[in-house]
Amino acid sequence: MTDSPPFPDDKALTDEQRYGAGLAALGAAPGTLRKFLDGYQPAQAWQAIARGRHRADPDCRYRRKAVPATLDTVVAGVLHSGVSIHVLGGPDYPSALAQDRQVPAVLFSTGDVAALEGLPRAAVVGTRAATVYGLGVASELGRGLARAGVVVVSGMTPGIDAAAHAGALGADAGAPTVGVLGTAHDAVATGSQVALRAALGARGAVLSEIPPAVHSAPWWFAARNRVMAALAHVVVVVECHHRGGSLHTVSAALARGATVAAVPGSVRSPASAGTNRLLVEGAVPVRDVDDVLTAVELAVVGRPDIRPPGPPPAPGRCTVGSSPPGPLAPWHRRVQRALGQDPATLEAVVRRSGLALGDVSVALEALAEAGLAECEHGW
Amino acid sequence: MALPIAIGLLVAAEVLPAACVARTGFVGELGLDGSVRPVPGVASLVAAIDADRIVVPAAASAEAALVAGGRVRPASTVAEVVAALRGRAPWAKVASLAAPRSAVREPDLLDVRGQIVARRALEIAAAGGHHLLLVGAPGSGKTMLATRLRGILPDLTPDESLEVLRIHSAAGAAAIGALDARRPPFSAPHHGATEVAVVGGGTSWLRPGEISLAHAGVLFLDELGEFPAPVLDALRQPLEEHVIRVRRARAAIDLPARFLLVGAMNPCPCGEGSLPGTCRCTDVMRRRYLRRLSAPLLDRFDLSIALGRPDVEDLLGGPPGDSSAVVGARVRRARALAQDRGVRCNSELRFDAVDGPSTLSPDAAALLERRLRSGTLSARGLHRVRRVAQTIADLDGVAGVGERQVAEALQLRAARSALVPGVDQ
Repeated sequence: MTDSPPFPDDKALTDEQRYGAGLAALGAAPGTLRKFLDGYQPAQAWQAIARGRHRADPDCRYRRKAVPATLDTVVAGVLHSGVSIHVLGGPDYPSALAQDRQVPAVLFSTGDVAALEGLPRAAVVGTRAATVYGLGVASELGRGLARAGVVVVSGMTPGIDAAAHAGALGADAGAPTVGVLGTAHDAVATGSQVALRAALGARGAVLSEIPPAVHSAPWWFAARNRVMAALAHVVVVVECHHRGGSLHTVSAALARGATVAAVPGSVRSPASAGTNRLLVEGAVPVRDVDDVLTAVELAVVGRPDIRPPGPPPAPGRCTVGSSPPGPLAPWHRRVQRALGQDPATLEAVVRRSGLALGDVSVALEALAEAGLAECEHGW
Repeated sequence: MALPIAIGLLVAAEVLPAACVARTGFVGELGLDGSVRPVPGVASLVAAIDADRIVVPAAASAEAALVAGGRVRPASTVAEVVAALRGRAPWAKVASLAAPRSAVREPDLLDVRGQIVARRALEIAAAGGHHLLLVGAPGSGKTMLATRLRGILPDLTPDESLEVLRIHSAAGAAAIGALDARRPPFSAPHHGATEVAVVGGGTSWLRPGEISLAHAGVLFLDELGEFPAPVLDALRQPLEEHVIRVRRARAAIDLPARFLLVGAMNPCPCGEGSLPGTCRCTDVMRRRYLRRLSAPLLDRFDLSIALGRPDVEDLLGGPPGDSSAVVGARVRRARALAQDRGVRCNSELRFDAVDGPSTLSPDAAALLERRLRSGTLSARGLHRVRRVAQTIADLDGVAGVGERQVAEALQLRAARSALVPGVDQ
């Protein structure tokens, strides 16, 4: 074994962490895992299962797996992927989760878990099959919430979740953002997911209750939703299909008394069928980030341990850079009026302003530089 | 059997005196009934034959005559050839090249209502030889506009005309039948076309593809996003070098392929695209739809514009724009200016030449510098914008390239970045 790549010294792990990870790697459901640790230290629990004497495992179902090889595999995985282990009851276990009924007994994280302590948290969730509208709103909410000092919690999947994270990361300053994985940290992921995990590790945290080197099962995604619901004071659903997975998060949030908010969408868009129904059933409507901030503020009233969200970000679009906007001529204003609120094609702007294409182009360049116009899916 | 072999046999059997076939070339295939049948590529074959007279199939005599003039001798049966060679009967008359297209009216820009920006882009594309990408919902008139591009292009030069004729002749009789020798060709392959059909090739008979048939003319790819990715990527070399190098196990040919590329596509699978609230496509669907368009291909489009559906008022008799004849005259003037710079059209301008004849005005240079500094314009994009701005200046009849022209050139490529967010300008 002298030729094998040197792993970091596993002495870095405490016994509690080692056996905690080992217990998680047995493949028990979250509830069973909690029972394993109920009244036992991790090392004791492991020994008891290995001897077939644990009261939570009367049929000795997990005895076969509780062997040193399992422990070695998971410890190697933990060291290789550089995750931290948090065992319920330990000093570094996130207090935001510790009080939850269905708390994950063992948690694996990258990034800075302590950063989310004491901050208000909002989950921004939704479908993978999102529309341009949903992605835009999710990113806008993520950015606005992070700026106002609200931790954005989401699920790392492509679509709404990734857009919310990206928006929060795009804020120039503000609260960290937390991703909750439905897989292990070292599970195979697409390039954009890998990039997102790295970015969150640097500015926020990524949580998973599945140990590294352990294969995930689809039901973990549903289980993951309860962790998001437990973390969040407010759950915002941006887009969700008729029977979308985000509704799991919603019911988990309702069971915990968290506020559920939803972004209205077109009544013809299947991607908004779930959210529109939530609104009918009484969810808080979300038009912009201010609506979410109000809901968060109400949710954390009477919680002195949670800092209320900061002032809402300044309305309007952010101005571009530091270049001083040049003086705008009257015909620049005419083009600006012709732009309207909705995105418009160049053709529409030329028609509404009644100016020549060359003049409109010069004006659009000037307006874009002054931060008064933006080219994105049309002007 | 080939006609030359048949004649050779007849001479060897002393049916025909050898003197009759001196300095005579033969092109054609022989049917079992003795008829002389056309072969593909007659025009090129005739050009390659050094003889005083060349016997060609009657059906291909018109194209042969355009290349070889009075040396062409049409023949429809082998008996006719033998009789004429012996001097017992006169040679048949050379047929005139059928011009089926001239009977059909070329679509005119007058039919296009509204669409100020798209018409302008079409004019710039024709004048500067800039490739054009039209992005718009179904019914916004993409195909209508693209089919009118040919009508505003100038006539072919005699040299170009001959090149086009030889390519179409090599593609076979069907291609030559649809050709009007003076006008630029227009080729619009369906998106189901195979790579071989588009770029050329084939196993037994290397045949020019649609991109060569569009040589000196317009290649229109409707539903650009539906073309297989290999076909689209095969376009990159000819777009760069104006030549397609077809390499096969048994043969290798270089075929000319200098064409003006017009691409048309919907902004997303459902077509409602940029209009907020109406598009029902998910992000995944949109990405899958756009996946085939590589950034290098999108880079080749100097002009890319988003089209909206025309206003109802325009459709029901708004003011008509300029006709193809008027626009075509402006295009010819602009092309003449480009030729003074030593290129066929402005898209072929080299960067040093762009710096040469007409320099940027100070405010135009400042605008470009600001865009470069803000990262919304790449170095490659800079040269493309400058070429387009030069064409706009030529069309406007102004001497130098000013802020107006540069700003317009920037605007007329903006739709591309909305389509694929990763693509910079």
